Amino acid sequence: MAETSEEVAVLVQRVVKDITNAFRRNPHIKELILSGTLHPVKDLHLGKLALTKFPKSPETWIHRRWVLQQLIQETSLPAFVTKGNPAALPAERTQRLIREEMEVCGEAAGRYPSNYNAWSHRIWVLQHVAKLDVRILLDELSSTKHWASMHVSDHSGFHYRQFLLKSLISQTVIDGSVLEQNPLRSEPALVLPKDEAAASTEEARINLPRLLEEEVEFSTDLIDSYPGHETLWCHRRHVFYLQHHLSGPHVSQAMEVDGLNDCSKQGYSQETKRLKRTPAPDSRGLEMEHRFIDQVLSTCRNVEQARFANAYRKWLVTLSQ
Amino acid sequence: MKLYSLSVLYKGEPKAVLLKAAYDVSSFSFFQRSSVQEFMTFTSQLIVERSAKGSRASVKEQEYLCHVYVRNDSLAGVVIADSEYPSRVAFTLLEKVLDEFSKHVDRIEWPVGSPASINYTALDGHLSRYQNPREADPMTKVQAELDETKIILHNTMESLLERGERLDDLVSKSEVLGTQSKAFYKTARKQNSCCTVM
Repeated sequence: MAETSEEVAVLVQRVVKDITNAFRRNPHIKELILSGTLHPVKDLHLGKLALTKFPKSPETWIHRRWVLQQLIQETSLPAFVTKGNPAALPAERTQRLIREEMEVCGEAAGRYPSNYNAWSHRIWVLQHVAKLDVRILLDELSSTKHWASMHVSDHSGFHYRQFLLKSLISQTVIDGSVLEQNPLRSEPALVLPKDEAAASTEEARINLPRLLEEEVEFSTDLIDSYPGHETLWCHRRHVFYLQHHLSGPHVSQAMEVDGLNDCSKQGYSQETKRLKRTPAPDSRGLEMEHRFIDQVLSTCRNVEQARFANAYRKWLVTLSQ
Repeated sequence: MKLYSLSVLYKGEPKAVLLKAAYDVSSFSFFQRSSVQEFMTFTSQLIVERSAKGSRASVKEQEYLCHVYVRNDSLAGVVIADSEYPSRVAFTLLEKVLDEFSKHVDRIEWPVGSPASINYTALDGHLSRYQNPREADPMTKVQAELDETKIILHNTMESLLERGERLDDLVSKSEVLGTQSKAFYKTARKQNSCCTVM
């Protein structure tokens, strides 16, 4: 088993020759890593090269996750601890690793349209290495925006944005639910130290409706500029749905905390609070969507675009039922 | 969304003459590039030959869209793009390029010109700039000027051909395609994945 650089060279040859089996059926690579002969980082580099030629290769992505898991479990990779100090940034090494993975995924996504394997790997890294850190999620949302606008039929790319938005919402809820809220009481019971909790939730809370609004604007812009792409309409449905999810009960609780913390706000009447607790689809939002559809149908000359617009309208109708 | 080639041709009788072309084959692997370029030239010429004067058309072939504009004076332009690239912008680009070309290059040179003899250097710049359609052109302007209903849509290259004509024959007879490209085409055809070189 004695592994030398020659062994590694042989492995490289095998990869080039048969990507399907190189990572899957080859026990030697794993043994090399586990025995400490082949450093995981070198393996990741090898995988990165392989992906330039085989951007979809499931075996390569699966193996890559195995390697990353080794790195996470090893004490050599500083753990991504958030419980002790929610405001702490992930360790430098972890950040670098995450950035590298984002780059590898991005390149692979560019090499093959709707590269599901690349995008799901990207999601996996955010979940298991980055632990859905809000700052990283926000950064990913802004940094993938241009790419998405240049790949308007890449369904996986837009699904990634939906994942980011969903995760941002759920991470806010997690932070928000820590602040125990009894609707009948006037004050929330804070579990986390007040300042940090307020800081992290306030940041996420302030941005969330704005983020979704921006995503809707982004969707409008793309649909107008690039008629006839179903992906864009699918994306719009998801964002619209998330917006309504946002005005549901649990997040409205967070919003009430906002109102309660800011005593200078006079606008929070009992009625306002009740409206926000209502989970029914916001009629103003629906109205705006219908107007958008009208505008598209009146100006578009693309048959597919008209079809998608009408389908979207039908879908909106089912929502309010 | 991507543009792969931009060509200016003259629709002569019976053959189309390539006057100038710009290519972006950076997304193809190194060994494929020259074949890809040859196929794009071949395709552009074929499309112009089979399109009527004073017409605009979009020809779909696998994941590529070839947009062609043949003017009434027989000057023609072809843009080969992917399926994401908005056709509106492609036609704006063609209109603009042909207009500029006709002002720079004397009409008398068109029927007998070649990329080597024609002095027009703006094509590469246009191709590069138009890679990002929104930076290159304001959308509203295009919407007003172009009547999209007049653009003929072809779902395959084959629909351009005469009855009885076969793409395979045209490929093997072509002077534009090198031996390697022709061999490449044959293998791809056998695997029923036509022109995977592109």
